[in-house]
Amino acid sequence: MNFKRLVPLGGTLLLAVLLAGHLSTAAGPSAGDDVIAGEGCTSILVGKLASTDGSVMTTHTCDCGTCDWTWRHVPAADHKPGSTRKVYHISQYQTWPPSEGLKWDLYKKDFTGLEIPEVARTFAYHHGMFGYMNEKQVSIGESTIGCQRKMQNPTPAAKLDLSMLTLLGIERAATAREAIQVMGSLAEKYGYGFHDDGEMLAVADANEAWIFEICPAGPLWTPASGKPGAVWAAQRVPDDHVSVCPNESRIGEIDLTNKDFFMASSNVVSLAVEMGYYDPKSGKPFSFKRAYSPVEGSAASTNGRIQRLWRFFDLVAPSQKFKPETPNMDLPFSVKPDKKISVGDVMAMTRDRSYGTPFDPVQGIRGGPFKNPNYYRATRVIDHGLAEYSTVTQSRAGLPDPIGGIVWIAFGSQDTSCYMPLYAGMTEIPKSFMVGDHWTFSRDSVRWAFDYTDFHVQVAYSEAIKDVQAAQAKYETELIQRIPEIDAQALALYKKKPAKAAEFLTGFSLNNATTVTNAWWKLGDDLLVKYNRLYLYNAEKRGFSRGQPATPDWWKKAVRAFDILMEPDKK
Amino acid sequence: MNKKTLLGLAAAAVLAATFLLAGQAPPKVGLPVLTTSAGQSTDVTTLNIVLDEAGVTYDYCDVPTPEMVADGVGLGGRESGPGFHVESTTDPSKYPAGTPFKAVVFAIGASLKGMGASGLTLDSEEARIKKVLDLCKQKRIFVMAVHIGGESKRGPAGSDNERMIDAVAPYADYLVVTKDSNKDGRFTKLAQSKKIPLAEIEYALGLVEIVKQVFQ
Repeated sequence: MNFKRLVPLGGTLLLAVLLAGHLSTAAGPSAGDDVIAGEGCTSILVGKLASTDGSVMTTHTCDCGTCDWTWRHVPAADHKPGSTRKVYHISQYQTWPPSEGLKWDLYKKDFTGLEIPEVARTFAYHHGMFGYMNEKQVSIGESTIGCQRKMQNPTPAAKLDLSMLTLLGIERAATAREAIQVMGSLAEKYGYGFHDDGEMLAVADANEAWIFEICPAGPLWTPASGKPGAVWAAQRVPDDHVSVCPNESRIGEIDLTNKDFFMASSNVVSLAVEMGYYDPKSGKPFSFKRAYSPVEGSAASTNGRIQRLWRFFDLVAPSQKFKPETPNMDLPFSVKPDKKISVGDVMAMTRDRSYGTPFDPVQGIRGGPFKNPNYYRATRVIDHGLAEYSTVTQSRAGLPDPIGGIVWIAFGSQDTSCYMPLYAGMTEIPKSFMVGDHWTFSRDSVRWAFDYTDFHVQVAYSEAIKDVQAAQAKYETELIQRIPEIDAQALALYKKKPAKAAEFLTGFSLNNATTVTNAWWKLGDDLLVKYNRLYLYNAEKRGFSRGQPATPDWWKKAVRAFDILMEPDKK
Repeated sequence: MNKKTLLGLAAAAVLAATFLLAGQAPPKVGLPVLTTSAGQSTDVTTLNIVLDEAGVTYDYCDVPTPEMVADGVGLGGRESGPGFHVESTTDPSKYPAGTPFKAVVFAIGASLKGMGASGLTLDSEEARIKKVLDLCKQKRIFVMAVHIGGESKRGPAGSDNERMIDAVAPYADYLVVTKDSNKDGRFTKLAQSKKIPLAEIEYALGLVEIVKQVFQ
C-alpha cells in the first residue's frame, strides 16, 4: 500500500463505520492503541447484606494466558509441638512440561531454606494458583496491583511470595481477619516479594469481606534490620456494599482506630515517609494507594485501558451515574448496589465485555462480521479471554462450614465456560482438575474441554455463543437453582454424621464436574460440525443444502468501503 | 541514629565479613559507570537502588548496544521509548556527555517477561551482550557482574539464567554474588578458573558498601 493511500485510511475506515451505523458518540478506543501487557486479574467482593442469599462472595479471574491452571485439595492435618512448616518460592508464572511433572509437586524443589513454626492444626482447603477456600469458609480472590518501583524486593531476602502466603493464610485461619493477620505478620517477619510485588487479596468468611493489599519493603531489606519486610493494609467492605479490584490499589485513607474496618502493618505510614512517597507536612491525609501504588487516569482518558473499575460500579449501581471521566483513584472504595446481587449475577459480571459502553470491543467493525470480542483487545474488559480459570466463592452463614462454603470454578475464558461448584467440605477434587498445561493438548484435563469449545466458538462467535449460552443455562443456571436442595440433603446427613455429608458433597461435586466436562467436550464436537468451514450444517436434517451464518449488511458495506480504498490509482 | 547511619553500619559490617571471607578488597575503578541487565530481570532495579543508596551516580540502559556504550555518558542523547529505557543520575558537571565509561555493571538474571517487553529473545540477548563485552574489552572498560537473585533464580544447566551467567560471568573483571546464588559453588569455580576476583554477600544490602569502594 503506498503512502497516498495510507493517508486517507483512517478517514475511509471511519466512513465504513459510519456506513455501518455503529459509530459511538462517546470517546472510544483508537485502533492504534497497544494491547496492554502486565494487566491481569479482576477480583469482585460482595458483602453479606448486598447479596440475595446472604452469601459473602469473592471472585478471581486468573488472567494470565500462559500460567498453570491445575488445582489440588489439601486435607486437614494435626502437627506435633515443635514441628515446622517449610516455605517455598512459588512463581505465579512458572510451568513445567507434563513429562517433568506437575506444578504442585515440583514447586517443592524451590525450598527457600526457611522453616517456620507449625501450628497445632492446619485446615483442609482447595487451591489453584492461590488458596481459595478452606473448611472454615475462609475464601480468597486475587488481583495484582503493583507498587512503586523502589519497593520491589526480588532478592532472596524476601522468603514469601504471594501464592505461598495465601496457602499459609488459608491453612491457618478460621476467619478472614485471622487470615489477614497471619499473612500480614508472616510477610513482615520473613519478608515479602521475590516473585511478586504489589498485590491485592479479597479475603472473606461467612460474615465479612476484606480487601487486603501488600507491598514489599524494598530490595535492601534484611531480616536483621528488625523492620517489617512488607507493608500492608486491609479494609473491610461494608456488609451492604460491593467492591472490586481490577489491578489497581483500592485502599485510600485508613482509620486504624476503627478496628472493625481497618488493619495495617506497623510501618504503614512510616515506610511511605522514609521512601519519600508521603509527606506528613503536606497537610493531606495519608492514602495507601496514592503512596504505594498510584494509578493515573480514568477509563476515558486511557481509552478504556483502565475501564474495569468504572464499568463495575456502573454495572452494580447505575443509579449513581458514575462517569468514565472520573479519575480512577477518585472512584469510591465500595458502593451499595442498586439491587441485591446473586451468585449468578456475579458469574455474569466475571463474563462482562463492556458491551454497549463507550469501550465496547465489538462496536463498529472491531469484532468483524460475527462480533467476536476477541479480535480487538485494546480495551481491557473483565472477560479478556485470558483466564486460566475463574472462581466465585460463596461463604454462607447459617450453614455448617463444610456446606456453607462453595468455590465455583470455570476453566478457560468465562464467556464459553461453565461454573462448577466445589464445596468446602469435599475431601477430594476431580482428577481432571489436577492435570494439564497450555502446550500439550490432553483429553484428561478439564481445561482443554473448555478450550476445545472456546476454539470452535471463535469461527462464528455471534452465532456459536448462543449454543454455549444454552448449555450454560442447562448446566450452570439450573444447578444454581438446585443448590438449596443439595444443601438440605447435605445438612440432613451432617446432623447425623458430618463425614457422611462430606462424602455426599464430594460425590455430588465430582459427578457434576464429570457431567459438565463431558458436555463441553460434546459441545465442542457439535460446534465443529455445525459451523464446519463456516457453513451451517444441520445434523438432524442431514440435508444436501446448507446455509451460512448470516453476514450483517453493515459488514458488507464496510467491505465495499474498504474495496474503494484499495482500488488502484486512476492515471 | 538515623536510618541511613544504621543502614551504613550494617552494610559496613556485612562488607567487612565479606572481605574477611574472600580475603581481598574490591578493585578501585571510579566513575562514570553504566548499569545494565543481562537477561532483563528486575534485579537491575535492585542494582540501581543499591547505587542510589551508596550515593554512586550512574547511567542506566536496559538494552544498550556497543555503539551506545561507546558514546559514553548520556548514551549519545538517546531517550526512553517503547521497550527501551534510559536513566541518568550521573553528574554532568563532573562527567559531561560523551565522557567514556570506566565501568559497566551487569545485573545477571533472565526474565522472559522482561525480554519480551524489550522485544528480545534469549538468543538475541546473548548476542547483544557479547557485542557489548567485546567493546568493553576493546576499550578497556571494567566489567562488573552481579548475581543477586539467589538459588531460585539460577535453574538447572542450560536454563535461561544459566545461559545469561555463561554470557557474562566468564568475561567479567569482578564478580559479586549472594551466597544463595553460589550454593553450588558455580561462581567460585568460575572465578578460580578465570582468575576473576569474587565477593560473596549475604543480601543485596551487602552490595552497597562494595559499590562505594569500587566507584568512589
